[in-house]
Amino acid sequence: MELFTSLSEASKPFMEKISDVFQSDPTFAVYFTTAARWIFVILAVFILFKSIRSLLEAKNTPETWAFLALPDGSHVPLTHWENVIGRAKSADVVVDILTVSRNHGTLCRDEDGNWRYNDLGSKGGSMINEKHVYRSTPVKAGDTISLAGVNCVLVPASLQEKMEDLGRRKKRSRKFPPWTLLLSLTIFQILLCLQLIVAEGGELPITVPLSFAGLTVLMWAFCTFLKVMRSTNFEMEVIAFFLCTLNLAITATAAPNEVSKQLITIILGVVLFFCLCIYLRDLSRTLLIRRILVAASVLLLLINLAFGTLTYGAANWVSIGGFSFQPSEFVKIAFIFIGSATLDELYEKKNLGLFMLFSLFCLGCLAVMGDFGTAAIFFVTYLVISFLRSGEFSKLILTAGGAFAAGLMVLRFRPYIAERFATWGHAWQYADTGGFQQTRTMSAGASGGLVGYGSGDGWLHNVFASDTDLVFGILCEEWGLIIAILAVLAIITLGVFAVRSIMGGRSTFYTIAACGATSLFIFQTMLNVFGAVDIFPLTGVTFPFVSNGGSSMLVSWGLLAFLKAADTRQGASIAVRKIEDEEEIEGGTL
Amino acid sequence: MKKLERRALMCLLLAGMLAAGLCFYVGKWLVYGSEWVSYPANKHVFTDGKINTGSIYDRNGQVLLENTESGEPEYSDSYSVRTATLHAVGDIDGNILTGANRAFAGKLVGYNPVTGTYSAGGEGRQIYLTIDADACVTASEALGDHKGAVMVYNYKTGDVLCMTSSPNYDPTDPPEIKEDDTSGVYLNRCTTARIVPGSIFKLVTSAAAIEKKKDLESWTYNCTGKKQFESSEVDRITCPYPHGEVDFEEALAVSCNCGFADLTLSLGIDNIKKYTKKAGLTDSYNINGIHTTPGSFDFPSEDVNIAWTGIGQYHDLVNPCSMMIYAGAIANGGKAAVPNLIDSIKTNSGLPAGINWSRKTDTLIESETASVLSDMMHNNVIETYGEYNFPDLDICAKSGTAEVGGGNSPNAWFTGFLRDEKNPYAFIVLVENGGSGANVAGSVANQVLQELVN
Repeated sequence: MELFTSLSEASKPFMEKISDVFQSDPTFAVYFTTAARWIFVILAVFILFKSIRSLLEAKNTPETWAFLALPDGSHVPLTHWENVIGRAKSADVVVDILTVSRNHGTLCRDEDGNWRYNDLGSKGGSMINEKHVYRSTPVKAGDTISLAGVNCVLVPASLQEKMEDLGRRKKRSRKFPPWTLLLSLTIFQILLCLQLIVAEGGELPITVPLSFAGLTVLMWAFCTFLKVMRSTNFEMEVIAFFLCTLNLAITATAAPNEVSKQLITIILGVVLFFCLCIYLRDLSRTLLIRRILVAASVLLLLINLAFGTLTYGAANWVSIGGFSFQPSEFVKIAFIFIGSATLDELYEKKNLGLFMLFSLFCLGCLAVMGDFGTAAIFFVTYLVISFLRSGEFSKLILTAGGAFAAGLMVLRFRPYIAERFATWGHAWQYADTGGFQQTRTMSAGASGGLVGYGSGDGWLHNVFASDTDLVFGILCEEWGLIIAILAVLAIITLGVFAVRSIMGGRSTFYTIAACGATSLFIFQTMLNVFGAVDIFPLTGVTFPFVSNGGSSMLVSWGLLAFLKAADTRQGASIAVRKIEDEEEIEGGTL
Repeated sequence: MKKLERRALMCLLLAGMLAAGLCFYVGKWLVYGSEWVSYPANKHVFTDGKINTGSIYDRNGQVLLENTESGEPEYSDSYSVRTATLHAVGDIDGNILTGANRAFAGKLVGYNPVTGTYSAGGEGRQIYLTIDADACVTASEALGDHKGAVMVYNYKTGDVLCMTSSPNYDPTDPPEIKEDDTSGVYLNRCTTARIVPGSIFKLVTSAAAIEKKKDLESWTYNCTGKKQFESSEVDRITCPYPHGEVDFEEALAVSCNCGFADLTLSLGIDNIKKYTKKAGLTDSYNINGIHTTPGSFDFPSEDVNIAWTGIGQYHDLVNPCSMMIYAGAIANGGKAAVPNLIDSIKTNSGLPAGINWSRKTDTLIESETASVLSDMMHNNVIETYGEYNFPDLDICAKSGTAEVGGGNSPNAWFTGFLRDEKNPYAFIVLVENGGSGANVAGSVANQVLQELVN
C-alpha cells in the first residue's frame, strides 16, 4: 500500500498539470460533463441491453444423452443427466401405466457416461435384466429395466443422432462475441477517467486512471483467454465487468486511495471465478469437496467469533496483517456448494437434515456477531435451496414462521436493531437521527435525475457508508436513475437466466447451485437497495459487484461461477465440459 | 429434473419482488422527487442550509432576491421593498415558511425528473411572483408600527397583487429574536394567522339570512343599543349607540350588533355553521404549495354565545386570506379564483419553464345571494364609509371592529372588492389593535388600491 501512496505523492504535480489543461477553459469542463452524462447512459444501455437480451432470449435446447425405449414402441429422449421415471406428470419420463408408482425410480448418468438406476421405494419394485434391485445399480446400454413389470430398454444415441443433435444445438445457440461490447466498455472507461479528472482535478491520485487501465487490460485479456479455450458466450462476464467499472468509479469518488486495492480484488475475483469454473466441470470432485467445505466454513465462522473486531455494530470483520476481510462472505460460496445436491441425494431425507443443521449453525454465528443483514440473506437462501430440494411448501411456511418468531425475539434483545425498525418507513421524520443515511440517499439520488451529475460531482459520497450500503444512492446521484436501474436489472436477469437454465440442465446439483446463488444475489440486492431508500429497514449489506469492498467483490465473482456452470448452451461456458463424443465429432467428419 | 422447474418459480418470485420494489421506488421518486431535493441537506441546492441558486422578481420585473453560490443571497436595494415583501420572498435562514425562497425552493432550482437539479450553467430559475412590490411598500407604510396584514388579489385570475404582513424586518439585517418572542415576526399573517373577525363575519350571517330568513324584506329591528339574553344576566350584546329602527340593508350598513344578534338567533346556530363552512372559512387553501391555516369556530348552544358567534366574536377565528377569497366569491357570482403567487418561471436565458393554470374554488355563495350582498356592500360605502374616502373606486366593502378584550384596542378590519372589469380585486386589511375598522383599516385599503389601480 505504501508503494501506492508514494506513487500518488510523486505523481501529484503531473496530475495537477493534466487537470490544469482542463480547468484552463472552465466551459470545457462544463460542456464535457453535460455531454458525457448522456454518452454514459447511451453506452450503458447499449452494453447491458445486448447482454440482458441475449441471456433472456437464450434458448435452452436440451442435450439428448440416451433414449429409453418404452413397451409401446416409443423412444423417450433422456435430456438430463438425472431423470425421474414414473407415472407422475412431473416425472422426466412418464410411464402412464397403473402398476408403476408415481416416482418409481431414477436413471442417472455421471460425466463418464455411466448410467445407474435407483429404485425410489416403489410399490411394484424394479428389476434389471430380470434381477430385483433395491439400491443404486449400474445399467448398460441394451439392458432392460423392468418397472413393476413394465419393460423399458436403455438405448444409446447413435452417432447419427448425436451429430444431428449437435447440429441442432449449434444452430439454436446464439453465440455472443464480446468484442463490440468490450470496445464500448473501454470507451466508457476512458471517458470515465476524463470525467474524474475534470471533476476532481489535481486531487485525483494517479492510481485511479492507472487502475482503470488495469481493468481494461484485464477485461480484454480474460475474454481473449476464454475465447482461446473455446468459450463462445460472454454475457455474464460483460455484465460483471460493467458492474466492476461502476465499482471503480464509486470507489474513486468516495475513497480514491482504495481504487488500486479494488483493482487487485477484481483481479483476484476473476482468478477465483476461473478456478471455480474449471473445478465445477467435474461433478464427482465437486460433490467430494463438500465435506471439506463444511469443516472450513465452521472454522472460518469460529475464527470470526473469536477474533472478530466490533466494527460499526457488527463483529463481522477479521484483520490479518493490515488486510481486513469478512469470513461470512466466503462462507456464502461454501453454503451454495453444501446445499446443492444431485437427484439421488435429493431423495435421501437425511441429507436435507444435515444441511438444515449446518444452516442453523451459520445463522447462529451470524446472530451472535450481530450481522442480521447477512443472517437474513443466509436464511432466504436456505429457504430457496431447501424448497428446491424438498418441494414441500408446508415446510417452507413453517420455517418462515419460525424465523419470524426468532426475529421478534431478536428485536427484543438488540435495541440497535429495534431502532432501525422504528425508523423504517419514517425516515423523513427522523431525518437527522435514525433516518440520516436514507434521507441523504433519497435527496442526493433524486438530484441526479435520469442521467446523473457526473462521476465525482456528487456529495453523497461524503456520507458514512455511502460506498457500501448506500451505493444505490451514489449511482442515482452521479450516474442517474437509468444506470442505477440497469445495474439492478442486471442482477434480476441473472436470476431469470438461472431459472430458465433448468430446462437444459444436466445435474440438479448445478441447477440448484445456480438458483441458490442468484437468489442470494437478488435478496442481497433487495436489502441493499430498498434499505438505502427506506423501503426496507437499513441493514449493512453490499450490492453485489458494485459496492466497495474486497470480500464482497471476490465472493460476487465466486458465486457467478455457479451461474456459469449451469449454462449448457452449446459451447457457451468454460464451466461446462463438452462431452468426449462431441469433441470427436467436432474434430472428425464435421 | 422437471420437478425442479416448477419449484424454481420461487426464484422468479424473488426476482419479481425486486422488480416490483424497484418500480415502487421509481413511483415514489416521480411523486416526491422535488420534495426530496428541497431538503436543506442537499448540497446541490443548499450551501450551509441556504439555497444557492435562482432568483425572484415581482410581477413587473423588479429584483426581489438573487441567490448566490455561497449561500448569501442578494436582496433588493430598497429597504422599504425588502421589509414589505419579506414574507412573500423569505428570509436568509428559511424561518419564514411562506417565503418563496423556501416554499418554492424546488422551482428556484429548476428541478425536473430528467435532469434532476443539474443545470449546465448552475444558475437555477427566475421566479416572477404575482405581487407588485410598490403596492406592498404602500401597504407596509400604511400599516406603520401596527401589526397586521394586507392582502389584495385578482378574483378572476387568482394573481395575488399584495401580500404584506407586519411585524416585518430587513432581511439583510435581521434582529435578534429571543426564545420567548411572541410577536410572531416570522408569521405571514395573511396566510397563516387566525384572528377574531368581528363584524366582517356579518357577511356570512347575511348570506345565511338572505337565503334562509323568511320575510327578510319586511324584517326590521329596533336597536336600543343593547340586547339582553335569557341565558345570561351579565353578558349582553351592545352597539356603540342606539341605531333605532333598521331594516336588513341598514343593519349591515351601520353594522348593528343587536340587529344581527336577533337575525342570528332566528336563523339558528346550525345555519350559521353551515354557511361558515360553505364560505370556505374552515378550509385550507393551497397556494402554490403554501397551505393557509383554516379558521376555527365554536358553535355553542346558549343564546348569548350564539349571538356573539353570529357577529364574529365568541370563539370565531378567521384566516384573513380565506375571508378575502370569500369576498372575491361575492364579487364573482359565487366562485372565485384560488390565489396564485407565481406569475411565471423562466430559465436564465428567458425561456419559459413551467405552466400555470388557474383553479376556481367551490361555490362559496349562491350567485343571486352574491348579487344581493354585493349591492348591500356597495351601499355600506355610500351610507357609512363615504365614497369620497375611496376616490374613483367602484368599491363594495364591510368593516369590522373586533373586540379582543384585555383592555386592548380592537382589531380593525376592512374587506371587500372592486366591481371593475379592469381591476377585479378583492382585498382584506387587518390592523391589529388599530381601533375603528372603517377609518384605520379602510384608509390602508384605499392607499393600496389607489396604488394598484393607477
